Amino acid sequence: MTLLERDPQAPAAWRGNLPVTSRYTYGIAGEKFFRALKDEGKIMGAECPTCGITYVPARAFCERGLSELTEWTDVGLVGELHTFTLVFVDYDGRPLYEPELVGFVSFGDGGIVHKLEADPDTLEIGMKMEAVLKPKTKRTGSILDIQHFKPVK
Amino acid sequence: MRKVAVIGAGMTKFVRRALETPKELSWHAAKMALDSCELTMDDIEATCFGTAPDAFDGVHMNGEYASDGAAGWGKPYMRSYVGGGTGVFNPIQGWYHVASGMFDVVMIVAEEKMSSFYPHAQAAFVTIFDHTTERALKPNLLWIFALEMNRYMTTYGIKKEDIARVSVQHKRNAAGHPCALLGEPNITVEDVLNSETLAWPVQRFDVSPVSDGAVAIILAAEHVAKRLTSKPVWIEGVGWYLDSAYWTNRDLVYPRYVEYAAKMAYDMAGIKEPRKEIHIAEPYDPFDYKALHHLEGLQLADRGKAVELYINGTAARDGNMPVCPSGGLLGVGNPIAAAGLMKIAELFWQLRGEAGERQVPGQPKRGVAQAWGDLMQVGTVVVMGR
Repeated sequence: MTLLERDPQAPAAWRGNLPVTSRYTYGIAGEKFFRALKDEGKIMGAECPTCGITYVPARAFCERGLSELTEWTDVGLVGELHTFTLVFVDYDGRPLYEPELVGFVSFGDGGIVHKLEADPDTLEIGMKMEAVLKPKTKRTGSILDIQHFKPVK
Repeated sequence: MRKVAVIGAGMTKFVRRALETPKELSWHAAKMALDSCELTMDDIEATCFGTAPDAFDGVHMNGEYASDGAAGWGKPYMRSYVGGGTGVFNPIQGWYHVASGMFDVVMIVAEEKMSSFYPHAQAAFVTIFDHTTERALKPNLLWIFALEMNRYMTTYGIKKEDIARVSVQHKRNAAGHPCALLGEPNITVEDVLNSETLAWPVQRFDVSPVSDGAVAIILAAEHVAKRLTSKPVWIEGVGWYLDSAYWTNRDLVYPRYVEYAAKMAYDMAGIKEPRKEIHIAEPYDPFDYKALHHLEGLQLADRGKAVELYINGTAARDGNMPVCPSGGLLGVGNPIAAAGLMKIAELFWQLRGEAGERQVPGQPKRGVAQAWGDLMQVGTVVVMGR
């Protein structure tokens, strides 16, 4: 019997689920970061005075020494394309109607993974990419307040 | 095996709903622990993290997610998880890191953010039950505790008003704890008996609250500990033990999982008569009757007699063997893994004479902390002394 052939004598299976609903908080750093994005249209980074690393998005503390990060700065909307991919299937393995471009745009010593809006053939690693924000009235304090990144003309 | 000492500790407030993310809660505790013994991340050689089911924090692989706040960056790092027993197992994991000779200084962090689970953390437990024999009945943890409490009370003829004394004493003790969620200096037995019935005989005030919080401690090998502090608190014994996964095949009246874990820890510590040699006990008290259960498993009372420690004053802060001077889970709060490690931190502060308003008199020399969890069948025990 092959694996795909169903055994009529097999006991019935049934469907169950893990019912999980979560209510997340932004956290100390997230609260500040997303307010700046929503209200001022800014992407904020935080520099650690001890080790010199700039975290983008800004965080509350440095993971290397655990010191508090109080020096937050506006890092602008333009970063560098660190890497990208063209996605053809969704996470259930189903083909997408339109392939999607996803990229990692670096800022400081970190960066943001987001959707890209561009002709895939024109993308080059290392090129400048700019965040396109939703209009202020549509922003909710979410990573999706950034609609996508596009190449800087 | 090398001697291992606790040399520092830190703890966040235990709160109902924290703004902080699990990473940020962990960071607060880890940073406080470092500052308490004037160390930096460069001094930490390995990190052990503890957190209960991922479902609570709403982050799958929460150990890895929270690792930056939990002092895990660039370290040999691992999360241990034995359900509610995690907070006392976590330092055991750290202990063998150091006792084995592999590391000299190890950070231990335990964190839980139960408020993420909506509407109530209780529902996260539905899937711990067997999907063929139990889940169709929609059981929850209160069922188990109510069934167990009833069996325990009935077997020994213990009155509910006497069990309520446990909750009263722990919540009163917690009134002196700066991190406590439910410290109640004036609570009475009547208040407990008049609280809402959840699943008879369990009432609202018999149960510890859902909470968010984090605790961290730092362990060091003997030669390092003696250099860094004049008051090291030694981990003298550790033990852990697993009973049957079937609650229908466990003794509901007497916790063997605690007895065996305690005997392992006492043997290692060279303790022959625990009732004389243990000066402070921090048994796991998510429910009031459970503290009694666990005191009996820890061999600190005869079977069915633990309640007398509360009636005759032995368990009081100024009694012969104070029980949960911290305020316990019933008073301080119950962010699962963090609550267990809070008991270890409490013994550290008590044995160093640094427990402030909560300090027990008489310069205690030795204490025991215990937690309980997994599918309600694991016991984890640590004996500490100075």
